[in-house]
Amino acid sequence: MSTALATIDLWSSVILPAIDEALRRILPTKWGEYQFMRYALLECLLLAPVCAAVGVKVVNFRMAFFSDAISHSAFAGVAIGLLLHESFSAADPRMTLVLFGLIVGLGIAYVRRTTDLSNDTVIGVFFSAVVALGIAIVTRSGARTTQFQRYLYGDILNLDSADLGLSLLLGIAVLVFMIAGFNRLILVGLNDELAHSRGIRVRLYDYLFTLLLALVVTVSIRTAGILLVTALLVIPAATARNLARSAGGMFWWAIAFGLLSGVAGTLASFSDYLANVGTGAVIVLASVFFFIISALLRHK
Amino acid sequence: MTLNAVPDNAAPTFALRLTNVGVTLGARPILEHITFEPAVGQINAIIGPNGAGKTTLLRAILGLVPYTGRIEWGASRNGKPLRVGYVPQRLDFDRGIPMTVMDFMCAGLQRTPVWLGHHRQARQLAQTWLDRVGGKDWADQPLGRLSGGELQRVLLAMALSDEPEILLLDEPVSGVDVTGEELFCDLLASLQRDSRYTMLLVSHDLSIVTRHAQYVLCLNKTVKCSGRTVETLTAENLKALYQQEVALYAHTGEHEGHSHGHTHHHGGSCGK
Repeated sequence: MSTALATIDLWSSVILPAIDEALRRILPTKWGEYQFMRYALLECLLLAPVCAAVGVKVVNFRMAFFSDAISHSAFAGVAIGLLLHESFSAADPRMTLVLFGLIVGLGIAYVRRTTDLSNDTVIGVFFSAVVALGIAIVTRSGARTTQFQRYLYGDILNLDSADLGLSLLLGIAVLVFMIAGFNRLILVGLNDELAHSRGIRVRLYDYLFTLLLALVVTVSIRTAGILLVTALLVIPAATARNLARSAGGMFWWAIAFGLLSGVAGTLASFSDYLANVGTGAVIVLASVFFFIISALLRHK
Repeated sequence: MTLNAVPDNAAPTFALRLTNVGVTLGARPILEHITFEPAVGQINAIIGPNGAGKTTLLRAILGLVPYTGRIEWGASRNGKPLRVGYVPQRLDFDRGIPMTVMDFMCAGLQRTPVWLGHHRQARQLAQTWLDRVGGKDWADQPLGRLSGGELQRVLLAMALSDEPEILLLDEPVSGVDVTGEELFCDLLASLQRDSRYTMLLVSHDLSIVTRHAQYVLCLNKTVKCSGRTVETLTAENLKALYQQEVALYAHTGEHEGHSHGHTHHHGGSCGK
């Protein structure tokens, strides 16, 4: 426990300030003047590749709708967090939304495995249930719409060292999984029986990936918002799919486009023209721009 | 998995042994009282009408569905459990996925993720087996662009690259065109001749079975007949197995070789 606390302390008082200082020196004043700008940029550098890498599997496994359902579970996750916060001040909507997202993800995966209903039907039911639950709680407990807006649209300009630390941890987890499980997931995605015959524990990998995806989506919500988080996963990977011919190619292109749209979108949103435009939206628009170009190149 | 004590350097006495195996899905019995031991080093075909439980039997053998009774694996020459290769029925996958044939092979052969490149040894091994199945130039082709027959041969190369001692094949040529089917079956026959794999082949195509399998197991919920193909595929046995479709199948059996289209045309309706 004390080592964990020491690590957190090391992060927030030594490592992060050092990175922050380095960014301040590298960036032109216009972009690096304020800490919130540097934090936003750092968040992009951490989260964009993570989302893009996981997005490769989301696009190839056709899980975009699943990812959307997880992000919309934040309606309920945040509402529960706000409700609990009234009685226990320790309850944090940022945490309850992650926990709730994991539960919903596992729930969908379980129902999908144990019934013969089609994928999108199962997801559709969960999707409606979590959104309705969120709205029910919020309307019952009085207007909290301003609190909600943070989560709807994302709030990348308002991050603290804990947020960035969480993104770093998530990045490490995804990296480990992408090294240890990438090949096996390819086989699981193609054919369960084939994967099984090669000694792969199919169900374990299915659930592990579901959990990881739920984690990535819910953690990224505070950056991109409920409405747009799936775009961070799907669009760079879809762009990469348009351009790549090999599995490795798609992986690296996705990361490149994720980073490019993240950084370009964030910096653009600091410009005078886009001063009051939501950063998450600018990032997503940038990635859509690259996607359109890749689609045009593909069909040439 | 039961490890029978097999003396070193002795040929394994059996590869796989099923004793009184039954599978029930929901409340419906799919398979009952299956006792069967495929002949070692031979092509063993499992035939039967649609819904006879052929694929379910294979899934039980692979450990993918719960079963009653006993399924025992033989030991390989070095005393370790047998290595099992599996070739699935037509792969149903997203053909637009950017993935080369080599990506696919290496995903099964190397531990390092393929986004870090193909391991040299894995690449060589994959190429060796691609050559063996007649896919010398396929390494850099997208997996989704292969024809049905080519894809089945890549799946066979994938299974072989694991150096299995027993190969399980589930309708490996269903939906494959006639030329592809010929190629695939000739390949199986030559593999069996050269390397003495024990093969278990699920097929609904009797002309393939009569030409390539030495042993046959007739299945319709229970074992209807089994033994050497020439002795087992008699008109009476087929009549018992397929009931009303007898005439068709007897006919196919007699005119093997030039009746592929014929078989396929009627194949879909048999047993329904």
